[in-house]
Amino acid sequence: MYAIKFILNGEQTEYTGNAGDRLLDVLRDTYSLKSVKCGCKEGECGACAVLIDNTLINSCCVAMGAVDEKSIVTMEGFKKTPQFKVLSDAMADFSAVQCGFCIPGMILASHATLLLNPHPSEDEIREGLSGNICRCTGYNAIVKAVKKASEEGDGLW
Amino acid sequence: MVGGYAPATLEKALRIRAEETVVPYAGGTDLMVQNRKNVEYLFLNKIAELKQIKVDKDYIHIGALVTFTQAINDDKVPQIMKDAISKIAAPAIRNAGTFGGNLGNGSDKADSVLIEFAVDAKVRLMSLKGERIVNVEDFCITRRKIDLKDDELIVEVLLPNKPYKNYIYQKVGGRNSLAISHVAFAGLFEEKDGKIQEFSAAFIADAGRFLRFKDIEQTLIGKSKKEAKNLKDKVIKAYSDKIVLTAGRVSAEYRKTVSLNLLRDFLTWFGV
Ligand SMILES: Cc1cc2nc3c(=O)[nH]c(=O)nc-3n(C[C@H](O)[C@H](O)[C@H](O)COP(=O)(O)OP(=O)(O)OC[C@H]3O[C@@H](n4cnc5c(N)ncnc54)[C@H](O)[C@@H]3O)c2cc1C
Ligand code: FES
Ligand code: FES
Repeated sequence: MYAIKFILNGEQTEYTGNAGDRLLDVLRDTYSLKSVKCGCKEGECGACAVLIDNTLINSCCVAMGAVDEKSIVTMEGFKKTPQFKVLSDAMADFSAVQCGFCIPGMILASHATLLLNPHPSEDEIREGLSGNICRCTGYNAIVKAVKKASEEGDGLW
Repeated sequence: MVGGYAPATLEKALRIRAEETVVPYAGGTDLMVQNRKNVEYLFLNKIAELKQIKVDKDYIHIGALVTFTQAINDDKVPQIMKDAISKIAAPAIRNAGTFGGNLGNGSDKADSVLIEFAVDAKVRLMSLKGERIVNVEDFCITRRKIDLKDDELIVEVLLPNKPYKNYIYQKVGGRNSLAISHVAFAGLFEEKDGKIQEFSAAFIADAGRFLRFKDIEQTLIGKSKKEAKNLKDKVIKAYSDKIVLTAGRVSAEYRKTVSLNLLRDFLTWFGV
């Protein structure tokens, strides 16, 4: 029996637990990555979103066996990037964060949107964030922040 | 790994499928929500040969592990399919969800499968014993019941290779990014020398299965638009008699009314 090997926020990692364990639970409970939130466990809220090989995925919908040989980035890892700084400043400028529960998923979804399309229209931003539910902000400030980040961070994505 | 298998080739996967009791795992977006206990998964996501989209003279081949996002970004996939799969949930789900999983889940509301019904697609299945190619309407028997043997895997979907010029796709659901179809409709229409050459109408209506009635379709084939127009009310009545719905998540009467409205719009759109 071999361990599940993957890169977690840049570090080579081995998981020896069960292949059927849920990535969301493992990230929170085994690796103490508490930015990854559990909102629904049904793929519907996006609070658990992470990047797997630079693609936005809801970690509640992933079993550990599926991440063998993959690279996972959570907010804890993304925080160290220049793209994070731009997104974070833009969110602050528009007071786009209230309780904060949705924000790790929202930021990673914003980054994933910009990776695919560095200069998205408002509609494209809304589409990119459409799987992330926010109960507080009404979304408009978040959408404006992503638009601003796309301008300020020109060349980063 | 403990509690699962992650083979890198289809051949190895088929061997494990034959020898062990395993649940095939593609994108996980249905399986992880079902949260089955005490199962061993057969992870298919390392098998490159299942992730290909290819075209030959007769078919567009979509590998079982092709994700919706991959297909949306591939020029070989016809627009009618793209229209349907780009309305599935939100990016994170489309990044993970696959064609094989949409079929394998056995849901009667699977959006890519509706298009497969409308275009007479086939499903290629494999086991160590060999392969079977079945019509999608025979593969999807009823809700949660598919024609998949315990030692088989879905390998690819075959869409007839043709232009799909005149079609309509409509999905009626709740909130966009979560919307599992309440009702969805896919219709194909082709005319040649003033006669209807192709007419196909497939529905998702929470009916326990996908709905398509080839006998009614046949009554319009070979007719001119004018002749078809005269038959229009009769045709819609024939659908109305066949679409028998019982209670579901939204009222049966609503689903039937919407289904028939979409059909009428489709006919009108193409001048019938
Ligand atoms: C929030 C949310 C929204 C959704 N919205 C939609 C929607 O709008 N429309 C829609 O159609 N679906 C929707 N779905 C359902 C789901 O995303 C799709 O059915 C998707 O195609 C499943 O693919 P998967 O690869 O994730 O399947 P998995 O979960 O990996 O597998 C699903 C089933 O198929 C079997 N299977 C998978 N691959 C194979 C194979 N190659 N051979 C044999 N069996 C196989 C599995 O054993 C399992 O039973 C939604 C799901 C969620 C969580
Ligand atoms: S917890 Fe994963 S999408 Fe809600
Ligand atoms: S800020 Fe509270 S849920 Fe989005």
